[in-house]
Amino acid sequence: MAELHLTVLDPAGLHARPAAKVVKVASRFESRIVLRSGNRAVDVKSLIAVLGLTIRPMSEITLTAEGPDADVALAALVDELGAAVTQSSDGSAVALAPDGATVQP
Amino acid sequence: MGLVLVSHSEQLVAGLGAIVAQFGGSEVPVALAGGTEDGRIGTTAPRIEAAIRSVLEGGAEGAVVLLDFGSALLSLEVALEMLEPEIRARVRVSDAPLVEGAFLAGVQASTGATLDEVAEAARGWQSLPKVPEA
Repeated sequence: MAELHLTVLDPAGLHARPAAKVVKVASRFESRIVLRSGNRAVDVKSLIAVLGLTIRPMSEITLTAEGPDADVALAALVDELGAAVTQSSDGSAVALAPDGATVQP
Repeated sequence: MGLVLVSHSEQLVAGLGAIVAQFGGSEVPVALAGGTEDGRIGTTAPRIEAAIRSVLEGGAEGAVVLLDFGSALLSLEVALEMLEPEIRARVRVSDAPLVEGAFLAGVQASTGATLDEVAEAARGWQSLPKVPEA
C-alpha cells in the first residue's frame, strides 16, 4: 500500500481540469486508488465521484493506492502534475501549485 | 469509444467539442450534429445519422450520443432507424445533460473504457448537485 498526503493550493480547488487529469492517469493502473477528503473517500478513477467531493483550496487530501502497481501509480499521479507539485521534507506532503496552467502537459 | 453531440445549435456543439478535446484529449473521436443543413437552429435526422456513422466508420468501437432538448430526440430516433441493426447495436443514447454528460463521457472514453462504462459515466451528473451549498 502506498499513501500520499496533499494540500490543494489551487485557488479553484481540485476543479474539473486537474480532476480529469487525475482520473485519466489513475485509470492506467491496476491498483485501487482512493482519494480521501475529510471523512469522505472515493475511487479516484471515477470523475463524478472526485468532482462530488468539491475539494476546496487548502483542503488536505490523501491518496491511497493498493495493488501490484501502487507505488508507480502514485508516482505517476505526482508526475502528471509535474512542476506544479512539491514534496515536503518528510516526503509525505505534496502541494498542487496555485497556477492551474502549470499542470498542463 | 466516441461521442456524438447533438444540439439545436452548430456553434454550441462546436464549443462543446472543444471542451471534450481539452478534458478528454484529442484521441477521443467526437462527431457533431448541430443545427440544420441550411444553418438554422434545429436538428435534423440526416445530420445526426451522418455524425454517428462518421464516428463509427472512423474506427470507434461504439458511440455515446448526447443531446439537448425537445425535437433533438425525435430527430435522433429517426436517425437511429436509418442505421443497420449491427451499427445501431454500437450506439448508446444518453439521458445525461448535454454539457456535463459530454465532459464526463469524454474523460471516461479517454481511459479506454467500454461503451457501457462511457454511457454510465455520462449519467453520473444526475446525482451531483451543481451548487452543493444550495
